[in-house]
Amino acid sequence: MTAVLIVALVTGALLFGIGLYGALSQTNLVMIMMGVELILAGALVNLVAFWRFLHPHVYAGQMFVLIIMTVMALEMAVGFGIAVARFRSRGSVEMEEARDLNG
Amino acid sequence: MILAQSLLVGFFGAAAVAFGVWVFRTSSMMRSALALLFSQTALGAMFLAMQTEFLGVLQIMMMATEMSIMAIFMVMFMMDPGGLGEMDMSHQKRLAIAAALVATTLSIAVVILVDWGKPTAVPPGAAQQVRELGTELLGRSMMLFETAGVTILTAMIAATAIAVDGRPYGKQKPAAAAMNQQHKPPLDEEAQS
Repeated sequence: MTAVLIVALVTGALLFGIGLYGALSQTNLVMIMMGVELILAGALVNLVAFWRFLHPHVYAGQMFVLIIMTVMALEMAVGFGIAVARFRSRGSVEMEEARDLNG
Repeated sequence: MILAQSLLVGFFGAAAVAFGVWVFRTSSMMRSALALLFSQTALGAMFLAMQTEFLGVLQIMMMATEMSIMAIFMVMFMMDPGGLGEMDMSHQKRLAIAAALVATTLSIAVVILVDWGKPTAVPPGAAQQVRELGTELLGRSMMLFETAGVTILTAMIAATAIAVDGRPYGKQKPAAAAMNQQHKPPLDEEAQS
């Protein structure tokens, strides 16, 4: 069972690393959001693995998973709102052109 | 049983990582969105393999919806959603690779070096998990649950308020007005017509 836990945690670490690379290296807002999604997915795997293998009778662990999923949805909603506003005012969602959040 | 579970968790974990890498390797934005969808779905399958049925199904359903919306936005906003122009839309690659390598290495070192104790072999059944989670949501964690609901509502209103352009036509900010001007026919054509 320890092997399965370690596989899950390593998967989470790799997803976090890939997401961090994407969030730092991409110039497009939607691609940056994809990187953040992968970072949150890494956190999600860790929380599920911790709950399943270490504390399966403490359901606050699953509550944390639901909160992370909520954060993922919120990030998408607000991110796309900002993307629409920027595309409307500047015609692009390239973040290299963004010096401030003023629409 | 444990061997099968290990193999399935490893397989779906590897699939999630492979599709995660593909998100930033392909030049097509549509393929990026689909790769992210497959990566998140593989994670959902991994949760199912770990016997957390409710969370696995929830992950697959939520991410399928989210990534479909993301794919639509890709088509709306990208200059080249099909990736035919092979555009490079990245910067500070070395810094990003270094940061990602350091973070991943440190995380994996922690995973391997920490003594996690003896993991539980058999979790509660699927029905019991859902029942206990419902009791948790409407009991001890109710305030947290309600706060999450109100936060979602606030984010929906905020996102709509940001996205809606309330300014009347002709009174937009200079950049938007210039964009609208580009779509207008030239003055001499207007005069002829």
